[in-house]
Amino acid sequence: MKKLLKSILFLTILFFLLAYVTSILWLPKNSISYFYEEPKNTEDVIYIGSSNVYTGYNAPLIFEKYGFATGMLTTPSQPFSAVKYMIKESLSYQKPKLYVIDLTQAVRTYDKFDENGVRQSVDTMKFGKNRKDAIDTLLKYRKTPKEEYINYYYSFLMYHNSWSSLSEYHYTGDTTYYKGYVFDKLRTDVVPCVKYEWEDDKMDLVEENREVFFDLIDYIKENKLNVLFVIQPKVYNTSADENSNQMLNTIVDVLNKEDIDVINFNKLDDFSLDFSKDFYNIHHFNVYGATKFSLYFGKYLKENYDLDDHRADPKYASWHKEYKRLEADYQELTGKEFKDLVKEYEKDYN
Amino acid sequence: MNLTSLTFLLFCIITLFFYFIVPKKIQWYVLLIASTIFIFYGNLTKFTFLEVLLVLLASYFGARKIDSEKGKKRTYYLLGSIGVILGILFLLKYTNLLLVTFNHLFNLFKVKYKFKLITRNSPIGISYYSLIMIGYLIDVYRGGCKAEKNIFKVALFMYYFPIIPSGPFTRYNDMKKELYEPHKFNYDALCSGLVRCLWGLFKIFVISQRISIFVNTVYGDLVTYNGFFTVIAALLFTLQLYTNFSGSIDIIMGVSEIMGINLPENFNAPFLSRTITELWRNWHITLGAWLKDYIFYPLLKSNFMQSLNKKYRKKIGRKKAKKIPLYLSMLIMWILIGVWHGGTYNFIIATGLLQFIYIFLEDVLAPVMDKINRKLKINPYRKTYRLFQMIRTYVLFSFSLIFFRAPSIKKAIDIIKSIFVWNPWVLTDNSTLFKAGLNIHNFRVLIIAIIVLFIIEKRIKKGNVRKQLFRQNIVVRWALIYMLILSIIVFGCYGVGFDPASFIYRQF
Repeated sequence: MKKLLKSILFLTILFFLLAYVTSILWLPKNSISYFYEEPKNTEDVIYIGSSNVYTGYNAPLIFEKYGFATGMLTTPSQPFSAVKYMIKESLSYQKPKLYVIDLTQAVRTYDKFDENGVRQSVDTMKFGKNRKDAIDTLLKYRKTPKEEYINYYYSFLMYHNSWSSLSEYHYTGDTTYYKGYVFDKLRTDVVPCVKYEWEDDKMDLVEENREVFFDLIDYIKENKLNVLFVIQPKVYNTSADENSNQMLNTIVDVLNKEDIDVINFNKLDDFSLDFSKDFYNIHHFNVYGATKFSLYFGKYLKENYDLDDHRADPKYASWHKEYKRLEADYQELTGKEFKDLVKEYEKDYN
Repeated sequence: MNLTSLTFLLFCIITLFFYFIVPKKIQWYVLLIASTIFIFYGNLTKFTFLEVLLVLLASYFGARKIDSEKGKKRTYYLLGSIGVILGILFLLKYTNLLLVTFNHLFNLFKVKYKFKLITRNSPIGISYYSLIMIGYLIDVYRGGCKAEKNIFKVALFMYYFPIIPSGPFTRYNDMKKELYEPHKFNYDALCSGLVRCLWGLFKIFVISQRISIFVNTVYGDLVTYNGFFTVIAALLFTLQLYTNFSGSIDIIMGVSEIMGINLPENFNAPFLSRTITELWRNWHITLGAWLKDYIFYPLLKSNFMQSLNKKYRKKIGRKKAKKIPLYLSMLIMWILIGVWHGGTYNFIIATGLLQFIYIFLEDVLAPVMDKINRKLKINPYRKTYRLFQMIRTYVLFSFSLIFFRAPSIKKAIDIIKSIFVWNPWVLTDNSTLFKAGLNIHNFRVLIIAIIVLFIIEKRIKKGNVRKQLFRQNIVVRWALIYMLILSIIVFGCYGVGFDPASFIYRQF
């Protein structure tokens, strides 16, 4: 009996040691990790997409201004084939009134997604059937050899090698996330860009993209989900981008036919960006563009969907806290008040 | 089934579970079933099945007949059974060596015909169980043991699963008690066996696999990586081979220990040896013992060798004449060791001829070395001199292993040539060395791991390290075990970017 107890104690300590080591030797926290930290059934909206979402949609600011909470399931270069599994995963934790899905990656061909895009989408997902299904689907479209799947099922097979590149945030967590919105020094850069004039021509989707897209539509309809698809503004400057523009038009047509909400920010008359100031690179908003986009979009969502106001609810205190932290960090990085920036842009959108 | 795979772990857990819950009388049947699954796992074809069955039948009936017959018939049965076993072994493992030799000869005599080399699946561990069964037959013939009447018991002795991948060589007399007698579950044996398995995993994942990255990079591109790169790769490969081989033996021994089955040790800190002779006494010990008992001594005592001794006694004196059969027997034995290691000439050179030359020179030059030491007033018992001898032994052994690692003699010569490129700056310019697959962090881990290995090996030489570990208080003991586990998990080279540990010795 004594030996059995000893063994149990030994294994318990080992379990905690391994859990600690694994937590450090893992992909640093991303928006999915932060999503899990939110209390159950507290999020009104869930936004799914890739980097243009987490650099453009300032969830704490939107909460502060309009009172609804947005959960972010956004990861770098997130393959569109992951969207269905993100929704499935979120349903185990939240009951949102609205899903917002960014369409940028819906037209990106699957050979263009690198390993990082897949890993960031699935590695921080909790272990379970949904994670496995997500991995199987993402890797199928990436044409990854079957024998490599195990390295995704058990991501530690890769991350244990990260011991030689551990940095502070492996221990402390990534502090540049604010409820899923990413803000740091890089997002204060200004890269002048030229506005892209949206074309109305259309082009058929590539077979695999079509398959993934219609599978998602079927899933949404089957589960009667309230969804708003979004085409966020970015700079389209290559022939590939032109194709994306035309394929996105095809998608918009399909969504209109299916009576699913869709909004193309590139074609809105009352939403204007200053392309010479609002991007830190051609694909992503800087903090200025993000603030404009968030103020406009937050208002749009508040006005068009029945979203509650939780600002006075103590359960949502962490949202205020994150907003304060964002304000402080903005001031530290720019020497200016974030409030002043918000006030300046609010004039245009309120 | 890879010894470091999760499949093997699961296989062991299931085997151990059934081994300890079934009635003690039928415990060995569990081992037989597990071993049969293991030997045919992923490799069950009618050929492999037939090959294993033939060796088993030849050994079983051969031994029974040797036991029951009298006179010359016993010898015929012995030779017949060994003939069947060797025939299968040669057919599967050494036909290509023969064909390559013929092709070389054809080339030499400008004959245009060339034999096509054959590829055939052989059961894993064929080189091990063939020699084990030959040993069994000889032991029965010599009267050293009785022939086993139960064919299933012979089967278990032949391919008891832990020894199939890389030995050690076992003897029937030592094993019958271990394998067939009941064993109770023992908590201390479980802990001790697990620690041994962990130590084996540490050697394989932290040291061997890490070194393999560097060695593969260097040997894969001798144009970019030469000179000191090659020297370091050659020196490290010896450690890679040792940690890989002895690590797998540790896992095997650990698993057996949990079941209460003791196997003979196969290594005893070989790199603390001061001569090649001593090194081979501590490296693959059971193979050396097998060859000595069944090849070397019978050869040395054979009429032919004794007649050579007599023939030269008058010409060159009794002392020197005694050496002729000795060296000749040694030469044959070393060539056989080389052949056993692989069916190609580079193995015959690496683990055969070169080892013979080293040992021959050690013996012949011993008086000369003594003279030099006396003249230079070198005390051979000083620690520094012992260290020099250890390093010399290690370097010589590493040189021979260039032929072991290279896929052909030509490639081995290319590697040796590449040593002579003068580029000492790779050791000092702070970055070049770290471009060959292992960065500075990995080199640091490797050096620390090698130091740990060296300390443990020294302690193993003096006594049972695990006994010492389990004598420590619980805090120290557990802390050390946790460190071992975590170092394997964190610093082990496995998963993405690493091949699963492929046992270098497993192919034999």
